[in-house]
Amino acid sequence: MALLRMRNAAFLSGSARAGPISMEISAGERLALPCSSPREAAIVALLATGIVKATSGSVLVDDYDPRVQSVHCKRAAALVPHEPLDLTDHEFARYVAYRAALWNVDRARALAHARRLLERLDGMHEAFAYPLVAALVVEPKLVVLDRPQRAYAAQIAAAVGTRATLSTHASFAAARAFAA
Amino acid sequence: MTARALFAIATARLYAERRVVLYACAAALFAGLLQPRGAAGPMLLGSLLGVAVALTQSPGRRPYLDRSEQGAPLFGRELARAKALVPCIAAAIAVGAYLCGQFLAGSRDGLALAVAPIAVVAATLTALSAAIRRGWNRAVYLALALAAAAAAYVLVVVARSIPGELAFCALVSFFALRQYGEALARYDPVEGI
Repeated sequence: MALLRMRNAAFLSGSARAGPISMEISAGERLALPCSSPREAAIVALLATGIVKATSGSVLVDDYDPRVQSVHCKRAAALVPHEPLDLTDHEFARYVAYRAALWNVDRARALAHARRLLERLDGMHEAFAYPLVAALVVEPKLVVLDRPQRAYAAQIAAAVGTRATLSTHASFAAARAFAA
Repeated sequence: MTARALFAIATARLYAERRVVLYACAAALFAGLLQPRGAAGPMLLGSLLGVAVALTQSPGRRPYLDRSEQGAPLFGRELARAKALVPCIAAAIAVGAYLCGQFLAGSRDGLALAVAPIAVVAATLTALSAAIRRGWNRAVYLALALAAAAAAYVLVVVARSIPGELAFCALVSFFALRQYGEALARYDPVEGI
């Protein structure tokens, strides 16, 4: 079963446009998608997590349509935003607990999971590691990375493990670094 | 929505805006000491502070909280209720600080305690819809929020009808919260990209 399926999925609102895109990602698969601009890459990442709805074509996340079952889509997919997260250790622990509450994940388990992931991401700048860790502690089936840093491709792949992963990129060169 | 998620959103947002809440309370306490008589101070200043705190909920101020809430498995109306709680709590604390100031200045008037909190909540909830809009739409919602506070004041002080004020504010709060939920469900996060 495909965890993410896009069929001519496009988004158009004012000057913001993305697609049309057709693709499919199953459990354990990894796809690096080059886009024409950073803005398009960000919109495609939002489409893949059900945060933004396609204006034409179809998107299915874990076989749920974000237009009618966005809550189910958001339970299956987690977004790793492009922007670094400038938080102190204490603030990050609060942030992990906050996300655990939103996804109804056990708080202590989420914090322990976050600590393990941070140890595994040793060498990666915390500001870039935090968004990835915050996305992984909610135990998603699909991880969507919005323009991840090329320099950390190996660490990100190791942290994500065997989860299905979509990464969007603003250039072919960046996408190549994340290709399976 | 679980109570845990509701509490998590409220506390995370209040923690993120703790300085704004602290300044609002300090301003309210100071005003209460200077103006210890009547309901005008706590109702109108409290509403202004509530509107200011509601505007701090605008998308983009705390992008990591915005993205988490947009990506969380929550319905728009659930998110609206949780986010609406934040400025209402902050505004209620500010009104409490104002009333403390009045008490410290020697006033023992219970009228403000009875009528101010609900008027402030009505104005704050109306202003929340301004937080996710821009331009003229934002200005219209801000004007409506201030008009709601002024109407509540007129009902209490001119018409001398506390039940009328309570009923008016409850009605305004109900529709404002519904409107905010609708607006949040339709909100397009791509605007901020």
